[in-house]
Amino acid sequence: MSPHYLEIFVIGLALTLLMADAFFPAREKRVIAWIGASGLAIVFGLLFVVDPAALPPDTIAPYYSADPHALFFKGLALIATIFVLLLGCDFMPVLRRGINGADNDRKGGVAESFILPLFACAGMMWMASATDLIFLFLSLELVTISFYVLVASMRRQVGSLEAGVKYLLLGALSTGMLVYGITWVFGATGMTKMSQLAVAVPGMTDNIAALTFGSMLVLAALAFKVGLFPFHSWIPDVYQGAPTPVTAFLAVASKAAAVLVLARFLDPFLNNPEIAAKLIPVLGVISGATLLFGNLGALGQYNFKRLMAYSSIAHAGFLLLGILGRDFTLVSFYLGAYVCMTLAAFFAISIVRRSVGRDDLSAFNGLARRNPALAFTLVVSAASLAGVPLTAGFIGKFGVLMGAVNAGYWPLVAVAVPAAAVGFYYYFKIVRHMFWEKPDDLEPLPVGRLSTTALALLTAGTLVLGFYPRLLERAIQDAPIVPIPAATANTADTP
Amino acid sequence: MTLEHYLIAAGILFCTGLFGMIVRRNILVIFMCLELILASATLTLVAFSRFRLTSGLPDIDAQMLVFFVITVAAAEVAVGLAIIVSLYRSTQSVHMEDLHTLKG
Repeated sequence: MSPHYLEIFVIGLALTLLMADAFFPAREKRVIAWIGASGLAIVFGLLFVVDPAALPPDTIAPYYSADPHALFFKGLALIATIFVLLLGCDFMPVLRRGINGADNDRKGGVAESFILPLFACAGMMWMASATDLIFLFLSLELVTISFYVLVASMRRQVGSLEAGVKYLLLGALSTGMLVYGITWVFGATGMTKMSQLAVAVPGMTDNIAALTFGSMLVLAALAFKVGLFPFHSWIPDVYQGAPTPVTAFLAVASKAAAVLVLARFLDPFLNNPEIAAKLIPVLGVISGATLLFGNLGALGQYNFKRLMAYSSIAHAGFLLLGILGRDFTLVSFYLGAYVCMTLAAFFAISIVRRSVGRDDLSAFNGLARRNPALAFTLVVSAASLAGVPLTAGFIGKFGVLMGAVNAGYWPLVAVAVPAAAVGFYYYFKIVRHMFWEKPDDLEPLPVGRLSTTALALLTAGTLVLGFYPRLLERAIQDAPIVPIPAATANTADTP
Repeated sequence: MTLEHYLIAAGILFCTGLFGMIVRRNILVIFMCLELILASATLTLVAFSRFRLTSGLPDIDAQMLVFFVITVAAAEVAVGLAIIVSLYRSTQSVHMEDLHTLKG
């Protein structure tokens, strides 16, 4: 089976559910999430049986690649979406109140919170495979526009709308910069296919200024999506205001897909010595500044979602460090670990938010006594986010740092190590709240069966990957980051 | 008219849009500035396409991207205006200063 059917299947599923939504009784919207999640699980299974060689060579293969990196990131997008749908199921009472207001009789609009993630998931799977800049632009926009709606979906809460407007304005600005950047890359080379760029750009000597300008603009646009300094300013507000499942989705899947695209796009430009001389210092400064801003900004936070926002900025700095180290397998592992630990943290946030009604750190006071198992999972996830040894997060951070050492970026390592150390302080602030702060009430905090299963899986993932990283490493194959089909490699010489 | 004329015009358009984004405080005006940025990108694309002749014809790849940009911009405006309208219904304002629920 050709890999491009995977996305067609996801889009078909989403469209069918969108139509079916009209006929489902209002109380049964949960079924839509279940059908969506099981459909995605089937697609995830199909990921192991697709045959990349079966891509139609003339019509699809020039725009779409199914190299090992693409397949790995499709898997990440699918897993993240499945967990986000389950999280949404659990979060439904809050979603319903946010969408319909206090007047809880009208039951409209909840199903879209489960269907739009499917469209975004298809977009991210296309992003992972896109090897043509036009196709890349379209798949990125499919993700972004779905997210505009998702972020602002709790329209009875000013916070959600405000987050939606901020995301909309900055996201649209990044779209503008992306198109303008692609335009200049096209103007300088006459190409839009990444495989052709990968062959032609490293040896180019004329039009260097235009190429550098274009690549910087695209870098700026993707920095918005990943959350890199100086384009990180939307992240704290949007993460705090958006519904928790959407925040988790933004933090995990949107970031992962954008990181792969960033690495794919930058690779040819970093191989051209003249452009790399300008690009590498810029990337270094961005990475260092992102690490500092993320970690120092998180110190003073008292809202858990805002804390996770700054933490996600800090992790973006590490991811860029990994891209600079030019060993993408390390970045893939980092993202695999990041998906597990971040999703676990957001599951915990949504459970506490549902029963306590707030997502401040003080809402977690005494959680160790109210629900020891939940507190334990949150300790594991915080430890992994901070990078305590024997967790997946440690292996990810260590790998990326060693990659930077091997590539000789000593000044960056000198920033990254203290930044990681600062991280310990604010992640353990969460632990302190759970174990040593006096709670308002000592009622046991109930957790649904669905969340228990999901949390157990994610925590097990975080721990197992920490003890036995091979499990994930086997899924990541070392391959050229920009796949070059044999056919295009020959024709690229004639522009 | 050479390629440079078009590029400079598009560059001015892009800078106007970017400047407006930073300076203006009305969300609707900011949204219009975003359209200026997209318009400058499409103008640049058409110019590059027109001046890069392959066997006497303009390069079609760039013109194809122009159509996609127009379509995506329309989708973005549809979603964006809907969000701005619901913001106005809940806060009675479309000014950036009035967005201060989220702080930390």
